[in-house]
Amino acid sequence: MSARSLVVAAIAVAVAVAFADSSIVVLALPELYGTFDTTIEGVAWVITSYNLVLAASALLLVFVVHRVRANVLLAAGSVVFLGASIACALANSIGFLIAARSVQGLGGALLLTGSLPVLAAFAGSNARGVAIWTAAGTLGAGMGPALGGILTQAFDWRAIFVAQAPVAGLALLGAVGSHVSAILEEGWTSGLRRTLPANGALALVSGALVGALFLGVVLVIDVFGLSPIAGAAVVSAIPVATLLARPVAAALPMPLAAGAGALMLASGLIGLAFLPSSELAYAIASFALCGFGLGLSVPGLSHAVLGGQGTGRKATFTVGVRHLGLVLALAVIAPLLTDDLFEAAEVAELNATAVIIDGEISATTKIPLALDIRDTIDRVPEGEIPDFTAVFEEHGSRTETSVRTVQDELVAAIEQAVTRGFRSSFQFCALLAALAVIPVAAFRRRLA
Amino acid sequence: MDRRVAVGILVAVFVGAIALVGIAFANGAADAGALAVRDPCEPRGAFPGQGLDATLQRLVLDGLDGAACELGATREELVLSLSPRSNADIPWDDETIERALRAGLLGAIDDAEQRGSLNGVVAAILRPIVERAPVQWLIDGGQGIAGLFD
Repeated sequence: MSARSLVVAAIAVAVAVAFADSSIVVLALPELYGTFDTTIEGVAWVITSYNLVLAASALLLVFVVHRVRANVLLAAGSVVFLGASIACALANSIGFLIAARSVQGLGGALLLTGSLPVLAAFAGSNARGVAIWTAAGTLGAGMGPALGGILTQAFDWRAIFVAQAPVAGLALLGAVGSHVSAILEEGWTSGLRRTLPANGALALVSGALVGALFLGVVLVIDVFGLSPIAGAAVVSAIPVATLLARPVAAALPMPLAAGAGALMLASGLIGLAFLPSSELAYAIASFALCGFGLGLSVPGLSHAVLGGQGTGRKATFTVGVRHLGLVLALAVIAPLLTDDLFEAAEVAELNATAVIIDGEISATTKIPLALDIRDTIDRVPEGEIPDFTAVFEEHGSRTETSVRTVQDELVAAIEQAVTRGFRSSFQFCALLAALAVIPVAAFRRRLA
Repeated sequence: MDRRVAVGILVAVFVGAIALVGIAFANGAADAGALAVRDPCEPRGAFPGQGLDATLQRLVLDGLDGAACELGATREELVLSLSPRSNADIPWDDETIERALRAGLLGAIDDAEQRGSLNGVVAAILRPIVERAPVQWLIDGGQGIAGLFD
């Protein structure tokens, strides 16, 4: 592999990581919650701060990006991203971590802004640079939770940020080794305005991805009780399907691929909204549909946005718009999910009580078991689903089928009620994905 | 990849998506996780089994149904309200719960006796117990019922 190819690969990995960072800490949230003296809202800001600052920074950079050399932007972004990643890894309070994540968002915006022209220069053509940048971004966005989950379980949450530092360092080397001049951009009216339909669709798709990349991950880890690595394996259906969709998308007219991809993403989210049980086959199939939809829609829309002249400014704008879509979706989903889960907890309590009352076990087992279950629930921190395995084992679940049956029914009643609490949020995300079809259909000739 | 092959794959994946959602609904996805507690005023199947344990559980469960029906609540809400540490929103005071529980249990004994599932002598013994039983034990967390079965 030539030095040029290595630089291209290093920058592409940095682009993938900057996109992955939107969701990379999702699987680490329970560990962060346990490490710091904070609230669930506080932990959620570890995700929101990165995306919010990245979106705001990118949209502001649109106005100045044409005055700065792309390799300078990439170098500055790499340095800021590297420093902020190390700061995140060393964080000893939630406030410091959120501040460091905000700085990391600024670094991400600079890095993503400068990377495309540099990639294009090293790859030999604008089209090839766009192809690499788009592929890295799409795959990175899909891989975020899986990467974070593996690192969290293999080491701990700090490993997520430690692993990012050398990636940013490699991108810095690429920036130092290049001499890409800024290209004078066409003005706002004739340049960015033409990208609004595709960017609108990308913003909606990014918002919809909150369902697959955030809600879906929380569901399989916190509700179905999978370990982070097992959860990562389930969620890896997304990037695998994204890769499988790429040749299909390439063979289809862009508006058809983008529209079909958005609908497929919506159908995957509907699948997640209506899981009949915690059987993983349904979740994996739904995640795969989401990934296939992502692979069909995002590359074509990104090419439509980044085609022609002025890719640096267009890339900056689309990065801002995509992350803005994600942040706005998070802003709607967070209170919706909180309310629904509060209601779901009440339903779970009533359904679980019905299981215990009607359980076909002797009263001499049933009553002490019910009291021990109540004590177990009292000991579990707010927001966590209790593990009743030890309680049921104490009351003979290993030897008595009837006790084991009650245990299975109790766990299913709780899991299903809490899973249903995610339904409205998944449906909202599916609606966002379906809405993405509108700009694609309305402007299909311009996008083609 | 040929465009026709790509369109074929697209159609196949869409058919798979529709099948996935269809199978999920066929397996009860629409109602999964919904509130699954029954109306206590409607009759329900008796608790299965024979012997003293099953008989007493039938009586208690029927009694809880009767009490919950009188209170306009579900049996599960009533049981949760008996726990002093419950987070449930309890709209009744202890006296109201006690009165409803006694009435429900006495009604359950009468019904069981009429059905022939409870011996007349046992019913006669149980009635004064239910009338004077320390229902406050139930309200303090169900320990009283545990004591009755031990």
